[in-house]
Amino acid sequence: MSEGPLAGLRVLDLTQGVAGPFATKYYADFGADVVKVERPDGGDPARRMGPFPQDLPHPETSGMFLHLNTGKRSVTLNLRHATARGILLRLAADADLIVESFRPGTLARLGVDADALAAANPRAVLLQLSNFGQTGPYRDFVADDMLMYAMGGVMQVTGDPQREPIKLGLYMPLFFAGVVAAGMGLAAVWGARRDGAGERVDCSIQEMLAASMDRGAPNLMAYQYSGSLMTTRERAVRMNALPAGTYPVADGYVSISTQIAWWPRLCRTIGRPDLIDDERLASRLYDAELAEEIDALVYPWLLSHTKQEAMELAQAEGWPVSALNAMDDVFRDPHFRARNFFTTLDHPHAGLLEYPGFALKLHGTPGTLRRAPLLGEHTVGVLCGLGYQRADVVRLRQLGVV
Amino acid sequence: MGSERSLPLSGVRVLSQGIVWAGPFATVLLADLGAEVIEIESIQHLNPTRTNFRHIPQPLLDGRVGTYYLGRDGSEGFWNRQAWFNFAKRGCKSVTLDLERERGRELFYELAQHADVFIENNAAAVVERLQVDYAQLAQRNPRLIMVRFPGFGIEGPYRHFKGYGTIMEAVAGHTLLRGYEDSDPSQTPNSLHGDPNAGANVAFALLAALFARERTGVGQLIDLSQSEAVLQQEAYAFMDYAMNGRVQGHWGNASPAFAPYGPYPARGHDRWVAIAVSSDAAFAALCDCLGVPELASDARFVDAAARYAHRGELDPLVAARTCQHDARALMVQLQAAGVSATELLHQEEMTDDPHLRARGFFQPITHPEAGTHLQPGPMGTFARQPLVPVRGPAPTLGQHNEEVLCGLLGLSRAAYEQLLADEVIGTVYREDAHA
Repeated sequence: MSEGPLAGLRVLDLTQGVAGPFATKYYADFGADVVKVERPDGGDPARRMGPFPQDLPHPETSGMFLHLNTGKRSVTLNLRHATARGILLRLAADADLIVESFRPGTLARLGVDADALAAANPRAVLLQLSNFGQTGPYRDFVADDMLMYAMGGVMQVTGDPQREPIKLGLYMPLFFAGVVAAGMGLAAVWGARRDGAGERVDCSIQEMLAASMDRGAPNLMAYQYSGSLMTTRERAVRMNALPAGTYPVADGYVSISTQIAWWPRLCRTIGRPDLIDDERLASRLYDAELAEEIDALVYPWLLSHTKQEAMELAQAEGWPVSALNAMDDVFRDPHFRARNFFTTLDHPHAGLLEYPGFALKLHGTPGTLRRAPLLGEHTVGVLCGLGYQRADVVRLRQLGVV
Repeated sequence: MGSERSLPLSGVRVLSQGIVWAGPFATVLLADLGAEVIEIESIQHLNPTRTNFRHIPQPLLDGRVGTYYLGRDGSEGFWNRQAWFNFAKRGCKSVTLDLERERGRELFYELAQHADVFIENNAAAVVERLQVDYAQLAQRNPRLIMVRFPGFGIEGPYRHFKGYGTIMEAVAGHTLLRGYEDSDPSQTPNSLHGDPNAGANVAFALLAALFARERTGVGQLIDLSQSEAVLQQEAYAFMDYAMNGRVQGHWGNASPAFAPYGPYPARGHDRWVAIAVSSDAAFAALCDCLGVPELASDARFVDAAARYAHRGELDPLVAARTCQHDARALMVQLQAAGVSATELLHQEEMTDDPHLRARGFFQPITHPEAGTHLQPGPMGTFARQPLVPVRGPAPTLGQHNEEVLCGLLGLSRAAYEQLLADEVIGTVYREDAHA
């Protein structure tokens, strides 16, 4: 097991769902000690999200939960009990970073608001991640990944103009928010350690999407610079003759992007080097009227190759063509395999499974992927770390505190 | 700039060749947080975030490309008036160095000795060719952290593959997961999710390596694969395949469990309200608000499983009602009744959104050549060390040559003038960049 870059960092994790747990997964996978607090009755709702092996729901085998919570320790606390709140404040006193993703106001209702946490540990960072932030008129709105995509402004410009707008893949905006928040939290700890003072960070998923380079900020800026959005839900118009977009091949589809300067690469790929210097074409590649003629050159080549062949042959010439892979293609992709992206973990209930591994490879301090915890698996260990005896923990369990 | 206030990353110096879309998302995060980000540019090969063109062809200037140049003006200096560059490089410095020449490279080595981090997303072999790869730099500054993030990472059979975010997302499987349920992949719209996602990973990674350096005393090389950073977020489909061998297709706007779910038409042209009903109580509240309480007791829609099974019948019934309502008013009404619902904000109107305004999200920033515009603010509100006002505009090309080369590196005036004369540095784009 390799020591990760964040070894020694202590994180108290009060998150649930997708975005918050994805942020704290980054801390856990990279070596921090992450203590995840779950409610005793069912725990993190991600335990009910699925997918489940053989489609049989079980609180310990939700695929989303297993992925989002690798490497964490799970403690159950019923925060409606004063004793549980006392335990929470003691855990906070030991933490460098406290992350929470409740609906705004929830912590205050439970009697452990930001001020109470700051009093328990004036040097800790409190990172609050929520849909709309801790202030403002939409603060209490309920939302999920699609609704956040809508309120980030990006969904309205995604899709076919004749149809309803369309969202990204499942939960993607929330995963994105988790990564941004993970960085915000680390930066705050960096500043807090230097200054010997705590910090409180309010992260709004809506703001992250509005500022994102995925057509958020670029569109908002372009609109002010030119009076037009850069991207709208317009049918993609061929701006020039060059093939760009999704094209069929023998066994599926490829995605192609082409620029004028890459014309020779295209010609070499499709076995027509004679066309590189064809003045009639080469000088008019901005002319969309030539699109049909160019397509007629490219289609026969595309349709006589598989997506993998087309990608490899074109990329060998420096022409960006890529396979539109389904998940079975992804699992056998030679590149992801060669990079050892897939990581097999064993789990008492879910068994041996391949998980997404490290997209970030830190050559000096790589970190380790470890399985997600069972509900309350570490309650005894964590409480004993606070000085409780095992008999105390039994009593707390009888009282419904843990 | 000139603000000396203390910020979380004050004192952290980052050299950047953060290009196109992914790199810039890293630099805006880092600069907002207080890092000193020095963008290493070149007057011979411009950062493609500024431009791919020496002279922008008029048809492109009239079309989509023109939208991101101020006033669709492609005249001299347009590389300083680029919309996304002027967002994503705000608060950064610009130094031009011709790394193709030895003098430029030597100066870069000197900068690397004064830096904590070097981030770059050039095509995979570029830093080796320019001799500014990790081995070269670590020899001169063992504390340096280097983050490299070409599309497919720096190792593996696709490491030389070219292409933008759409290419990585396709190979990682995201594109096939997010089209309309009933159409083929050629109708799937573009998304650029992979780019900002990579930038956010870079910010996290270099911070993690800074923490490690506090203990180990040395820097390290970090290899980020943008495609894998997307793949690990396709968790629902990924785990389903790992567990059940099931290959998921287009989800469209469907939820795995709930109905009604999706955007529904509202009153007016291209107005939509997104609704996500996850409980019987929310469904009853929705039916009440829409004036069709009888639907809540309809046998076809009586519980979550029934609604999901009959969602094809339910959706038009909901849409027939939502289209009579104003999107914002319906959002407010439904939220008050406990139903997850939002309007689909139009980006043209976001600076007027009452919530974002109340939070003070948009920040006016004045750029010396582009003027004053509202920019999305920092992506976290810090109570003790506020990140607003943001630190300043994006730099013009080579704006900080003198400050950095003479100030930080202590070059003499004569040496500086010679660099200008030799076009190792400069402030005017000299040749076509080949992106």
